[in-house]
Amino acid sequence: MLAEGALAAGCRFFAGYPITPASEIYEAMMRELPGRGGLAISAPDEISSLCYCVGASLRGLKTMTATSGPGWALMIETVQYALMTETPVVVALVQRLGPSTGGATQGAQGDVWLAEFSNSGGYTLPVFSPSNSAESFELAVHAFNWAEKLRTPVLLLSDKEVGMTTEVVDDDALQIPALVNRKMAMANAAYAPYAAEGPDGVPAFATVGGEIKATVTGSAHDTQGQLRKNSPEVVQGLKRLQAKIEAHADEMAMVRPDLDPDARCLLISYGVTARAARQAVSQLRSQGSRISFLQIQSLFPIPRKWLDWAVAGMDTVFVAEENLTGQYRTALTPYLSGKRVYGINRIGSPISPGEIAQTVRGELA
Amino acid sequence: MTTEALYLSPTAHLPYCRGCGHSLVVRQLSCALERLGLPPRSIALTTDIGCMGLADSLFPYVHTVHTTHGRSTAFATGMALADVIMDPQGLKPIVMIGDGGAMIGLLHLVHAAQLNIDITVLVHNNFMFGMTGGQHSALSPLNWVTATTPEGNWTPPIDLLGLLRSAHATFLARQFATSPELPGIIANAINSPGFSVVEIIELCTAYGTRWNQANGAALQEIIQRQGIPLGELETEMGRPTFRELYHHEIESPPKKRFQPAVPRINPPASLTKELRLVIAGTAGERVQSAAALLCRSALAAGLYSTQKNDNPVTQGSGFSLAEICLSPKPIDYTGMENPDVVLVVSKDGWKELQANGTIGACRDETLLVLDSEIDAIPQRGRVMRIPLRHKASPRRAALASIAAWLAKDPVLPVEAWDAVVALESVGRRGEFLAALEIGRQLAGGGPAL
Repeated sequence: MLAEGALAAGCRFFAGYPITPASEIYEAMMRELPGRGGLAISAPDEISSLCYCVGASLRGLKTMTATSGPGWALMIETVQYALMTETPVVVALVQRLGPSTGGATQGAQGDVWLAEFSNSGGYTLPVFSPSNSAESFELAVHAFNWAEKLRTPVLLLSDKEVGMTTEVVDDDALQIPALVNRKMAMANAAYAPYAAEGPDGVPAFATVGGEIKATVTGSAHDTQGQLRKNSPEVVQGLKRLQAKIEAHADEMAMVRPDLDPDARCLLISYGVTARAARQAVSQLRSQGSRISFLQIQSLFPIPRKWLDWAVAGMDTVFVAEENLTGQYRTALTPYLSGKRVYGINRIGSPISPGEIAQTVRGELA
Repeated sequence: MTTEALYLSPTAHLPYCRGCGHSLVVRQLSCALERLGLPPRSIALTTDIGCMGLADSLFPYVHTVHTTHGRSTAFATGMALADVIMDPQGLKPIVMIGDGGAMIGLLHLVHAAQLNIDITVLVHNNFMFGMTGGQHSALSPLNWVTATTPEGNWTPPIDLLGLLRSAHATFLARQFATSPELPGIIANAINSPGFSVVEIIELCTAYGTRWNQANGAALQEIIQRQGIPLGELETEMGRPTFRELYHHEIESPPKKRFQPAVPRINPPASLTKELRLVIAGTAGERVQSAAALLCRSALAAGLYSTQKNDNPVTQGSGFSLAEICLSPKPIDYTGMENPDVVLVVSKDGWKELQANGTIGACRDETLLVLDSEIDAIPQRGRVMRIPLRHKASPRRAALASIAAWLAKDPVLPVEAWDAVVALESVGRRGEFLAALEIGRQLAGGGPAL
């Protein structure tokens, strides 16, 4: 469904390398793209996969690759290049149990930090995390849209349980946003490849191979794309890379809330664990507990708008995720001041609704 | 504007050290482009990290892409691959890379050669890393003195072109930066359809000539000693390019097998609440495909379903299992905290379900359909032990076990199975129907629950 979503978003180029549990996406794209006017290619490693995608995006296509933690580790050099050169590209990161080769067929949500904090400078990489097949489709379209609109790499953070579970999807219920394409440079106008309107603007795109000369560089550059060290113009350009993301943070924010106006306790989750959390909330409510629930779909930038709204009036916040150290909880903590914050964590197998309900009951008792 | 001015700007200040071969190469490249008369916007000068990577700003009218270390070939390959489906087509990426970049990015060169993708790579081989202070590279000659081999290099240099020849490159050439033949060779490389490489031998005047007794004559001797040929080498020239092969493949696409849409049937399933089922057996015995058929039948009967498969990483040996949820409503959690039905068709499957806790999670009301070869006695659950493998064959046992369960607990109408099985090929249809029938019979004749 993630692959279907990518195709619906207008993805025309895919490069992949086999890795469990992301190979399904690779195989689907190899099967489907050629017949739909696109091109899919088997790369000799993950570094090449993402380089091919970035090259193809520079040539003007919407592109995607799919991998898991070990492959993502190899792509981190190139995703920074995409960030610096402002090249739209989508990476589907289907998590498995790490570190290292880890458990290829074991699900996990252990790559949240590795996904987000993967670049020198700490720039925000938009990350969307689906919890089921339908969301995989919908968020894939959103990921492409934001990659195009902001000219930046965007991550789809899935996991083995979401990526490799076959499930029934109601096509008619899918909420598919209108497609967005990158803003193109106009011919016959003075063009500076990295000049944008305002300190949080996005430059117009000149296709490599098009009529307007494209100048692309991953090195520190001025608005003309010329190598510069640390001139004020360079620093301004670097600040703009972050500002353009932050300026759209509210627009990018996506959550599925289920709030109880009388609750003093909020459960937050994302990805596969959100499914167990949703069920745990039903269990708890059927036993008389007052609890609110917030599934976060856009992990980064952190959806402050919805987070602030959901935590207002709460005493206690639980964050359930399938990793050891509470990676997303740690990222949220600065915005949860004054609340009692608890993590519900596990590795090796999915967190069950019973486990969540028990922890919540235990802490609230 | 003269054609000359379309490429290397005549007024350009070349940023290289005095005597550096890179200055010669950019001039020779410009000269080659002038000979070919290619429109500047049809060229993507793709530069690597290193002194040669400063060439971008010297070519004000061609597209320039300055990349990461060693990856220039891969970015260029991506551009050229995309170009295959662009309208209009015709982008020619030209890569400028050093000997250091060629080694860290060797895989990209090998794959580009193998694909025969339409890019030209100019390898600036000055035997060392110049920009970072004169360290030795994989192409440093024996005894070459560098910052990291102060006593002389003792690892033999690789023959880059020989290596790429074995990857089926279609145009390979090697020449000195000082050679008057170089513009012609570069022009031939750019003109050659598919992947082309020119290894240009030059000297780093900042470090190479400072630490080694190297001049033009010494360079000749070094190459002779390495036994590597100069000029255009013999290759598999004429081998189809990626562009040609891809369009050929697209014009004659293979017949694809799509799963036909599942029809809705009447009556709908009688299931009113979520049902959790595990089916386990041996890899290669169609456990997961039987489970998929069950889910398709459930869909035909108007249910939601999820199916999660598991097997050892080896795929084709050991256990194979599927965890299934069926529900009249959309399904959230897909785990098996309390399975309602457990179907086990081999000892491999039983062993795994014991190990992963499924058997331990069974309750008194859980239905366990077990093959007769499994002699273990579960602590809880209603057990139906029937000779699935013996009567239905190991490869049909999984499907038969599903039919046996449904005969006892008909949550899905028979019509749903019929509708889904009818979509299969004639051969498979017969096999499926036989398996289902055996399962039903075994359930009827099995021991009382």
